[in-house]
Amino acid sequence: MRNFSGLLINEWLKLSKKKSFFVAYAILAVVFAILAFAFYKLSPDGLNSTVDFATGTIMLQAAGQLVPVLAVLAAAGSVTQEYRYGTIKFLLIRAQSRHKILASKYIVSVLYALTLVVTAAVFAVVAGYIVYGGGAGESTWTDFLSNIASLAVYSIVFVTLTFMIGILTKSNGAAIGIGIFSMMVGSLLVMLLSRYSITKYLLFANTDLSVYRSDAVPVEGMTLAFSIVILLVYMALFLSVSFAVFKKRDIA
Amino acid sequence: MTTAKITNPSIVLQLDGLTKKIGSKAIVDGLSFDIAKGEVVGLLGPNGAGKTTTMRMIVGLIGMSEGDVRICGQSVRTNFEKAIRHVGGIIENPEFYPYMTGYDNLKQYQRMTEGVTNDRIEEVTKLVGMQEALGKKVKAYSLGMRQRLGIAQALLHEPKLLILDEPTNGLDPAGIKEMREYLKRIAESEGIAILVSSHLLSEIELMCSRVIVIQEGRFVTARSIGETESPKQKVLTISMQVGNAGQAQEVIGQIEGVEVTQADSFTNRITIKLLHDQIPGIVAKLAAQGVAIYRIEEVRATLEEEFMKLTGGNRIA
Repeated sequence: MRNFSGLLINEWLKLSKKKSFFVAYAILAVVFAILAFAFYKLSPDGLNSTVDFATGTIMLQAAGQLVPVLAVLAAAGSVTQEYRYGTIKFLLIRAQSRHKILASKYIVSVLYALTLVVTAAVFAVVAGYIVYGGGAGESTWTDFLSNIASLAVYSIVFVTLTFMIGILTKSNGAAIGIGIFSMMVGSLLVMLLSRYSITKYLLFANTDLSVYRSDAVPVEGMTLAFSIVILLVYMALFLSVSFAVFKKRDIA
Repeated sequence: MTTAKITNPSIVLQLDGLTKKIGSKAIVDGLSFDIAKGEVVGLLGPNGAGKTTTMRMIVGLIGMSEGDVRICGQSVRTNFEKAIRHVGGIIENPEFYPYMTGYDNLKQYQRMTEGVTNDRIEEVTKLVGMQEALGKKVKAYSLGMRQRLGIAQALLHEPKLLILDEPTNGLDPAGIKEMREYLKRIAESEGIAILVSSHLLSEIELMCSRVIVIQEGRFVTARSIGETESPKQKVLTISMQVGNAGQAQEVIGQIEGVEVTQADSFTNRITIKLLHDQIPGIVAKLAAQGVAIYRIEEVRATLEEEFMKLTGGNRIA
């Protein structure tokens, strides 16, 4: 176990020692600062409190969309950068199984995504507080927390997908491209195909769990439990493919 | 079959019918050899002979189709983590995380292997003379410095076997010499076995105590360098520079058991084949006949010539 925590520390350092590491957090800070300033100037209707602001901005359809994009950028590099630098040769000739090495990479990619979610949530609350200073509105803290949870689930799903693409293609660009493209086109696709009931089995119909709070489900008859099962099945599939391919692959 | 060999504790690396097939084509075909403790062995072969594939199979980067590799008795196939524990490697160019310092890079590998202390990091750093540069980011390193850091990471976990695939690739002559001296020192001071592949034959000749030649994935021959064959029975080839080649040829031609293979009256060089013990007699005779002798040299077949003979030239595969 001590060994595995060493692997986790290694992966975290590979991310955090990069100069670009803080850029992701800085982008979130800047975006929420701009939003706060805009809301302060325009004071739109229906938003009256810190919680309203935080709940509204953290949504996937708002500033929240940045979080999975930033998480995907990092997840894409986790395996592909080792190929790019050539360090994969040194990484895989240690007394560690390939499964353990890949597991540490995946766990750190997910942890990094979660730090982005938490950071965005903190910025949302702080920005909201500066503009509204508390106040009473429609949204509750439960709404806010449930939006955070949806954002976290959405991010982890796309991190997992991108992670797999990275392993399959060994290309950072391809993984980022496919990861972000599927994020954007996925929801569009679901919208276009929503009248076919088979659409509900698509990954992209189930990635945004926040729909179950507003009852605007993409395809009729879908439930929260159904979506969770579908997501788990897809994640299990992505991870099985990732681990199987990484284990078998010849490093030539 | 395997247990008999494992009982020999001095065998560090053992290849047993190692085979790699891609499709139906065998890239490495039933390769078997052993390397004992403290040996420095060169793996030679023309391009495409399967050197790199063999070395990558030994360290588990490429899966094997048939056969097995055992390191200190542990199978790479079935007991990878235990087997690889004893191996340090540089596979082609040493690559590091360029945005980290040399020290951070070594720390990465320290965390991956149990029992590597901070003192050990210091020790290997000193061994390769990198104390000064360890705090700098790797992207600022020269190739020579990266090569040294590569040796440091390979030695970090006190391996019993070093696998070096083309370790002098891209180094200038000074870097090559330095690398060779490090490796020799390491083999002596740490008492570890080294398997090295290189396309620089003279390099292998200077570094190794034994070479293994492979071609088209198959074992061709193994031979020791610095042969121990009794010099008295060996037929030597001697090249002499004399005052008059024609006269010298006449004189030497009268001696029994000595063959003049070449006499060049323009450069006044004469090449003869004879036994070790006959040399003083020839010199005395030539001197007595008034033939001036300027040089006497042994003509040795270089590893390169022998390599060409064995592999039929460096055919591009």
